Amino acid sequence: MPREPFVSLFGRGNGQPGQTHPLPGQTPTSRNGTNRVLYTTPHTHTHIHRSSGVKFISPPLLPPNLAAVAYTTVIAVPQLSCRVVLQYGVRGSRLCHTTRARVSRMKLAHGVTLLPTFMPVATQAAIKGLTPQQVEGLGITLILNNTYHLNLRPGIKVLREVGGAHQLQGWNHNLLTDSGGFQLVSLSKFTKITEEGALFASPFTGEPTMLTPEESISIQHAIGADIIMQLDDVVSSLTVGPRVGEAMRRSVRWLDRCIDFHDKSGRNKAQNLFAIVQGGLDSSLRDECLDEMIKRRKKVAGYAIGGLSGGEEKGIISQCAEKLPADKPRYSMGIGFAEDLLVCVALGVDMADCVFPTRTARFGVALTFKGPLNLKLGKHAKDLNPIDPTCPCPTCSNGVSRAILHHTATHETAAAHAITLHNLTFQARVMGQARDAIMKGTFPTYLRGFFENYFGDAGYPEWCVNALQSVGVDLLEGNPEAKIVKGDGARWEHSRAE
Amino acid sequence: MSSPSLSSSLLSSTFRFEIESITPRLGNLTVYRKSLKKLIQVQTPGLITCTSRGVIPHLSSDHHLNPPIKWIHVPFESFLEHSPPFPTLHPGPYPLHSSLGFRPEQHILSMSLRDPADDRDMPPNGNQFVSALCLRGVRKASPDQWRDYVSSVQPDLVLALSDIPFSSASLSQKRLTKSIERSASWLANILRPLPAPATGPDANLNILVHMAGGIIPAARQAFSQSLLDPLFDKEAEAIKPLTNLDEGVVGYSFDLAPLHKSLSPNLTLPTTSKSGFIPFLDLFSTPPAPSSTAQIISLIRTSLTPLPTTKPRIVHSAGSPHEVLALIRDVGIDLFDAHWAQRAADVGVALDFVFPAPVGLPDPELPRQVGHNLYDKRYSHDFSSFADFHPPPAYTPVPYTRAYVHHLLCTHEMSAHTLLALHNLAVLDMFFVSVRRVLLEEPESFSQHVAHFEQTYDEKLGVLAEARKLWTEVSLARGKGRLAREREKQNQDAQNINGYEYKK
Ligand SMILES: [Zn+2]
Repeated sequence: MPREPFVSLFGRGNGQPGQTHPLPGQTPTSRNGTNRVLYTTPHTHTHIHRSSGVKFISPPLLPPNLAAVAYTTVIAVPQLSCRVVLQYGVRGSRLCHTTRARVSRMKLAHGVTLLPTFMPVATQAAIKGLTPQQVEGLGITLILNNTYHLNLRPGIKVLREVGGAHQLQGWNHNLLTDSGGFQLVSLSKFTKITEEGALFASPFTGEPTMLTPEESISIQHAIGADIIMQLDDVVSSLTVGPRVGEAMRRSVRWLDRCIDFHDKSGRNKAQNLFAIVQGGLDSSLRDECLDEMIKRRKKVAGYAIGGLSGGEEKGIISQCAEKLPADKPRYSMGIGFAEDLLVCVALGVDMADCVFPTRTARFGVALTFKGPLNLKLGKHAKDLNPIDPTCPCPTCSNGVSRAILHHTATHETAAAHAITLHNLTFQARVMGQARDAIMKGTFPTYLRGFFENYFGDAGYPEWCVNALQSVGVDLLEGNPEAKIVKGDGARWEHSRAE
Repeated sequence: MSSPSLSSSLLSSTFRFEIESITPRLGNLTVYRKSLKKLIQVQTPGLITCTSRGVIPHLSSDHHLNPPIKWIHVPFESFLEHSPPFPTLHPGPYPLHSSLGFRPEQHILSMSLRDPADDRDMPPNGNQFVSALCLRGVRKASPDQWRDYVSSVQPDLVLALSDIPFSSASLSQKRLTKSIERSASWLANILRPLPAPATGPDANLNILVHMAGGIIPAARQAFSQSLLDPLFDKEAEAIKPLTNLDEGVVGYSFDLAPLHKSLSPNLTLPTTSKSGFIPFLDLFSTPPAPSSTAQIISLIRTSLTPLPTTKPRIVHSAGSPHEVLALIRDVGIDLFDAHWAQRAADVGVALDFVFPAPVGLPDPELPRQVGHNLYDKRYSHDFSSFADFHPPPAYTPVPYTRAYVHHLLCTHEMSAHTLLALHNLAVLDMFFVSVRRVLLEEPESFSQHVAHFEQTYDEKLGVLAEARKLWTEVSLARGKGRLAREREKQNQDAQNINGYEYKK
């Protein structure tokens, strides 16, 4: 192998957010306008043979059991005269042997986030009741802000003055913004979609206002998140008929306008645009959308799966995740229940967000591996144990009792904060343990153990059993008597903003 | 200037207070926990952090490590909602600390039955009970129950029950006499030695006494005297080996809320709302007038004159830094709760004052406000940090700007109050650090500095009044619609989640 300049992605640098890795001879910002998408692993040095595009991972640095799968192809994307800020990849060793789950590192301008991950929602540039320092203290490296809300308040002027949402909220880690379109449709009564954009009444002045794809990207540029979303034409998952196809095709056209605007702005050096796959529950429309959007893979950094209203349509998620390019992150929007997250991970999803863990905390509901606890119930009034003695969150590790949380929930904001800290830690543990299990090759066992604990006597949701069956995991293995609950799972209005 | 000292022990902790200088007083209060080999030290004058329903408002347990949070005061009445109150059920050591999530190695907990800041009208106390307030309504607590609660939850310090009449009606001589007699007898009750615990060497409690007598000097004098008078017969037998009540008391406490209420009869607040009691936020809307503070100082002096000077003096619900300084200067108060500063965070005010006050400010800037009402539009583009006059200490959330918190207040984000509560406690803590520094280094100029502070900062705390008004309007305008919508969404979540606890 010729001694080409190589890129070492791991084991260097001090892990500070925002730091790009120091590289011998070359930086990943690509000397010759080549956009590289790299497969990487935290334990190895990755050498990239630049002319052939083949990546070689130094075998001596690999754990013995991983050495056999040290080869993959790297995708070198010649385009966009900009520096790569999204490095994303998986390689065989980190794919689940059974399901389509995978573990990867996503490197953005504000550091690395391990995938799969759950993203807490900080609608107004704050996770409800917490300080950004606290969120950071939980080990969370990627949160979501809502474009619609930040555009209204504090507004673009303030965001530009302060230098973006990172600076506004003192958050030095990764940030994602949505396009604002979803909130527009769900929060504004008078939205009318035209080819030009979404026409709506300003919530402050009532004046007709147009949100175009270009405008959405422009606002997201002012916010400055590491990942931004295209404006899509959103229809409810209950919609049927020609409107679904129209919305899907329009979303493709709007994607082109977003790409165009984003590329010409120069902001694509620091911000990564994701496409959103639409097409409702119609798998042929989804296929058409996937084909179109995959054609634009060189111009987008990742893909979201949109237009689903909850946990039920796992067939669509499965279809999309299976077809989407392996080298791009896949983001399932508005997913937050633990069972949903794990099924999505098994189907190949890398990222998810939901307001559920933080909103439910404000009503006194703590999430645990044995199912959610409603701390408002009288049975917790005298329980001096923490929510979960094995939980590393500040609330549990400081011994804050269920009794004091029962006593204060819905009366004191401090109770909401305590449970929010716990619930976000729970979400992170569910995903962290999933990543560990995938790395160790024990993900199916983890899934069986998790579901057994979580649903216990209440019974397994049938849709989970079926969805996991489709990727080769039999939840009932060794437990043929297990109860199964009918129905196709969680449905809730996922406003994706609080 | 040394140092009469006093110590007493509670199970495995030793409580100690040393006065380093007498006028004005500078002191050092310590609790040593033998089993943990841990010394907790509070320098005085210093601050006490307030709790509501057993928790520090807006903060979480990871914030409890912040330096200002050392001595925490816990009103017990909210726990009376359940019988027995849950902290009494804790089986391990340091039950009050453990059941509320505070740290024995870090925090000193004092406890009173009632919230000292709550001066709402209450049904009268009886000879054998105090009326306390919890969400389920009024609860009667007897001196014997109080002993039981205290001995099972083991706070570091506890206030003996006290008969403080909370009523707008002016008090008769007879009622005052009764109040003094009850308070003394309830103190005697808690001073009776506790039955020896199963384990541990000693079950003495560190008892604080609220100085009774209301706004009548003669009554206050009589109460203080009753602490010193030797007891006889059955009464003496009960508190043996103590010969008078004062011997059993480790410190003196003054609740200013009922005094201010009595001294400002014009300050009539609606006493009840449709739901019974008025919301707490509406209380305490006016800072103390200087004249009222002057009268209070005279009353406190009356109480303290006959008593030993070696014991800590605690004030609850001082209303302004001006009042705090006057109380330090004139009657040597050692500890103040942070109630007013913590409440300022509730209404969006970031405190910004220093002691000694800055010199050479141009006249138009005087008097300065003690803080910023960050809800005000003028802060929407202000990217400076909360306070003008000192850099925030390392543990405060440094990068946050006025514009950010303005945004969070406008969007009703709870994080605004978290950041402000942390900040306000830090500002108050640094204020006390500076007060102690002046008392140590230049005690003779302390009064001058106090006078300059009074001239520099608005004693009416106009910024707080303005913020409170705005906050009330916003809360009303925001209405219940939004909260109702949120509850609706939560209910939908609850119906759909697969956890069995929801199904009940
Ligand atoms: Zn926890």
